[in-house]
Amino acid sequence: MISFAACGLIGKTGKISFWSPFLAILLLWTGVALFKSLPNGNLLASRVAEMFGVKLWWAILVISSLLGALASGISGYCGYHFRKAVLKKKAEA
Amino acid sequence: MNKTKALICVIVPILLTYALNTKFGDTPPLLKFLDPFTGFWQNAENNRVKASKKVALKGARQSIDIVFDDRMIPHIFAKNDYDAYYAQGYVTAKHRLWQMDFQTRFAAGRLSEVVGKKAIELDRYQRRMGMVYGAEKSLKGLMADPQSKEMILAYTAGINDYIHSLSTAKLPLEYKLLDFKPEDWTPIKCALLLKQMSAVLAMGSDEFYMTNIRNKFGTDVIKDLFPDYPFKEDPIIPSGTKWDFTPLPVPEAPVLKAETIAQHKIRTKQKEEGIGSNNWALSGSKTVSGFPILANDPHLNLSLPSIWYQIQLHAPGLNAYGVSLPGAPGIIIGFNQHIAWGVTNVAADVLDFYQVKFKDSTHRSYWYDNQWKNTSVRLEKIGIRGMAAEIDTVFYTHHGPVVYLQKPKNFSRSNNVPTGSALRWIAHETSNELKTFYLLNRGKNYADYRRALSFYTAPAQNFVFASADNDIAITANGKFPLKWKDQGKFLLDGADPENDWRGWIPADQNPTVKNPPRGFVSSANQSSTDPSYPYYINWEFSPYERGKRINDRLTVMTNATADSIRKMQTDNYSIHAQNILPAVLDLVDQGALNATQKEGLALLSKWNKYYNANSVAASIFDLWTKRLQFDIWDDEFTVADIPMRYPSRDRTVQLILEEPDSRWIDNVKTGTKETLSDLVNESFKFACDSMEKRFGPIGKDWEWANVKHTNIPHLAKIPGFGSKNLMIGGGKMTINALSESNGPSWRMVVELGKSPKGHGVFPGGQSGNPGSRFYDNMIDTWAKGELYDLFFMQSADDPSAKIISKLKIIKK
Repeated sequence: MISFAACGLIGKTGKISFWSPFLAILLLWTGVALFKSLPNGNLLASRVAEMFGVKLWWAILVISSLLGALASGISGYCGYHFRKAVLKKKAEA
Repeated sequence: MNKTKALICVIVPILLTYALNTKFGDTPPLLKFLDPFTGFWQNAENNRVKASKKVALKGARQSIDIVFDDRMIPHIFAKNDYDAYYAQGYVTAKHRLWQMDFQTRFAAGRLSEVVGKKAIELDRYQRRMGMVYGAEKSLKGLMADPQSKEMILAYTAGINDYIHSLSTAKLPLEYKLLDFKPEDWTPIKCALLLKQMSAVLAMGSDEFYMTNIRNKFGTDVIKDLFPDYPFKEDPIIPSGTKWDFTPLPVPEAPVLKAETIAQHKIRTKQKEEGIGSNNWALSGSKTVSGFPILANDPHLNLSLPSIWYQIQLHAPGLNAYGVSLPGAPGIIIGFNQHIAWGVTNVAADVLDFYQVKFKDSTHRSYWYDNQWKNTSVRLEKIGIRGMAAEIDTVFYTHHGPVVYLQKPKNFSRSNNVPTGSALRWIAHETSNELKTFYLLNRGKNYADYRRALSFYTAPAQNFVFASADNDIAITANGKFPLKWKDQGKFLLDGADPENDWRGWIPADQNPTVKNPPRGFVSSANQSSTDPSYPYYINWEFSPYERGKRINDRLTVMTNATADSIRKMQTDNYSIHAQNILPAVLDLVDQGALNATQKEGLALLSKWNKYYNANSVAASIFDLWTKRLQFDIWDDEFTVADIPMRYPSRDRTVQLILEEPDSRWIDNVKTGTKETLSDLVNESFKFACDSMEKRFGPIGKDWEWANVKHTNIPHLAKIPGFGSKNLMIGGGKMTINALSESNGPSWRMVVELGKSPKGHGVFPGGQSGNPGSRFYDNMIDTWAKGELYDLFFMQSADDPSAKIISKLKIIKK
């Protein structure tokens, strides 16, 4: 949602509108997850990894961050194109 | 074109967000679950515990100090009773909220509300068995007493104040996985939890099977194969104990009328040994200290989060330590300065089915005492996630609910429920079990113990007791209906008033013994008394082997210490093997065996009869004797369309030892006549062959621990949240009664004296959060058969305890 709005307002190109929210969320989520998980000795991440059928705790971290990043990247990209579509329409009118 | 494009650009992210944040089937809402701001990462608890915290809460009356020891066990120091139970509710919710919620939903038949229609049959079953009906009645009893009322209201307020302090991010993990939110706690949930204990421990019923057996084989076979007292027994109240009361007259059994029973297609299953437990107390004459030692290990289906929650409650007039059930205030098994107590289940016959004759298909009236009597109707509204709610109509007679008018298919819980019968069950009585624990928690002596017990209804328990005054006692205690002998062994005719329960055994005439000459009391779910007891409690109890082993060991024990008792709790010796192994080994024809079978036989002949973790012989013996029982009984007792059960293990032992030529030995499905020796050899080869097929040549994989596969699963069976496989010994018929995921859910040893010393452990941890290091931290100690010293603190700053964290609750 935020990346949709942000890129809808300030996104310069389609590519940037995808990659900047993608990277932002990738870093943010990885950071926050590690901040929570490291003092826990990755105990819970390991259990959740087992639940998802992957053996290693950091695989869950990668999945989390990539999925979050992807969702926000796509939203950003769509936001940008939404603005372009709307603006173009106005220009035509 | 552009309009479409704009629309797509809006719809795609919305769909994406929706798809990743919604629960589809059993898949959790993925993105929501993985989001480090609100998802599971937030449940990763810091391994370093915050040393002190202060909260201001509206519900507290005065300030409360809660200190947590190094196993995260709370010690609550309150200035009044209300605050003690308020704080108990608060910390229990803090550690176990989802478990409490889920268990009471299960009890109330409300699982479909959160997991969807796959739980509908279970929900209907819980409703139709009258769980909510029983809980409502129980709640009346609880609320009628000022002390238990205060307990419940304070506990409820504590839980709710915790729930209201939770943000979405801080919800227990399972809520995020199953995607629902906690609702406010209500007093009925405490009652539901207690009813669920009754359901776990006192819902057994064989009368449907027994009636079919009587119809097929006749009463002589019943007398022979399903006797009212076992062949081998060592009753809880020692044989020969005098009954110092004048018994009430027992109602006469009506003359049996011919009955026809509707039959169903169900396969006969080998009777699984029920949930059992051990407890015992030694008098000071048998201990080093000169004061009694009391021990208890209740066996239940093990799960994580742990079944029990350890706690110490301290308030004026109260200082008790022990285990509580998450969802019920007070301490169930534990000790205080003066006394210690523990429980095992009494397999009392307190559940009966009455056949009902309805006037017509509206089920509005039924035949009773030569006239038509009206049924009442209870509508059960079952909410189902993602669907419209269902209204289930249940007809009630004066006996109780008519559980099934039509039985569900493929629902194993309904197997022993006869169609069209009404259920009379002790758990539907108005009762107040909490009062018993309220009084025991504050008890000082034997008289207090006896008084506390008089308030107890169900599930009936063998309450063991020891005091610093050097008294020991045990009572098979509960509210027992006054029945004629064997009333409820078979289905009853619901039209005949003589079949009703007509009164109760007076509480002070329940089987009890104080300071018996043998210097100890014990129970392991076997028969409560010898046949001299003037009332009928049940015709069959759990097999006697654990009780026998306990009594054998305690008889010869002198100068006992806590450690000798601890070792006894993990005793793996099999009395069953002692009883039958020599007889069956003799019958094995060595010449007809292959190499593996020969090796197996050699191991068995050298076996010390201990179900130890590394014993291969135990694995073979276990499968062998199970198969032998099958060989003896299955040909007669598995008949299409007639659900029946096998005779007991005890009767099987008697047959093997004393009636080797019995007609039951022959397999009636073959043309030849089999002898006992034929069956023994077949079953022995079967055991060795099937193990070889599964595990290869005899080796590590054949060891008992590998075969038994003990592990502790998560309550909702979520993979990754349970324990690993534990390499431990023990078996259902040994004192250390461990099977795959059933066993000692709490082991406690208390040394009474001027200041009591408690030792205990349970398989799990205090926290219900899989992301906490206190989730399963006690499992290894439990598996090793060791106990922790329990900190029985005298004040919040008692230096004898290792305290890692403090929580101060002040009034807002």
